[in-house]
Amino acid sequence: MPGQSHCVDLLRQLSAYIDDELPSDICQEIRRHLGACPNCEVFIVSLQQTVTLCRHRPVPPLKSVDRVAMRRAILDAANAW
Amino acid sequence: MRASAPKKLSQPLPTHEPEEFDKLYRDHVDLIYRYAHRLCGEAEAAKDLVQETFLNAYRGLKDFRGEAQVSTWLYTIASRACIRMRRKRKGEPEHELSLDEFVPTSEGEFRLQIPMDGLSPEEALQNKELRQGLDQAIEALPKKYRMVLVLRDMEGLSAKEVGNIMGLNERAVKSRLHRARLFVRRELSARGITNHDDHKSGGLRS
Repeated sequence: MPGQSHCVDLLRQLSAYIDDELPSDICQEIRRHLGACPNCEVFIVSLQQTVTLCRHRPVPPLKSVDRVAMRRAILDAANAW
Repeated sequence: MRASAPKKLSQPLPTHEPEEFDKLYRDHVDLIYRYAHRLCGEAEAAKDLVQETFLNAYRGLKDFRGEAQVSTWLYTIASRACIRMRRKRKGEPEHELSLDEFVPTSEGEFRLQIPMDGLSPEEALQNKELRQGLDQAIEALPKKYRMVLVLRDMEGLSAKEVGNIMGLNERAVKSRLHRARLFVRRELSARGITNHDDHKSGGLRS
């Protein structure tokens, strides 16, 4: 694979890059590498998509009946303590 | 992504006051249920964790001095309870994720893709296979990595807040988060999920 050691260095910093935590000169260097390395370009897109999916994964809401039943159970347990 | 703005108590709450507890419960139960569901992956275990969390909170109200946000305090209680409950239930071994295991060794591994081309995340997640793949990948994470990923990428907390909840410095949080993301990316992209149009036929939402 072309420039593999460069790719491995980049892989170590990808989350910091995605989260915009790196100094601008390092970001520029990464962007240059991404422009020249299709493998890393695809890799970072898939990592960004992974983060995006996590951020948007919904959770089924708590049912009212469960909210009430849990409150009762908690207070019963607390009073029995 | 947080359900409600965190509230800060100005004074310590008196212990064993049902009205104070009710307010705490009412204001935060949905937040903690969502967190618990994401950690546990299913409703029954999530409800157990919510009950354990609020029972511990009820007992600890007298010691809570309002120095932290109430939500951070509850996240911390829930995280500790989760670790205790999982230990009891499974005795599951913790293992470290090494960055080296995520270094692609072939062009094919570099080029693994998530099947969401042109779709919004909401549309992509209507694909049952993708949704289940994501859930299973998160569930397969060792818990200390899963907890960081859930708090940071799903609950939307800052690295500093996650560090406070888990008793870690920010550097450790970021290191765990990166490994967790790489793990989920690899699990998800390696599954070969294909049927993008499932959601159009309906009936796939859980």
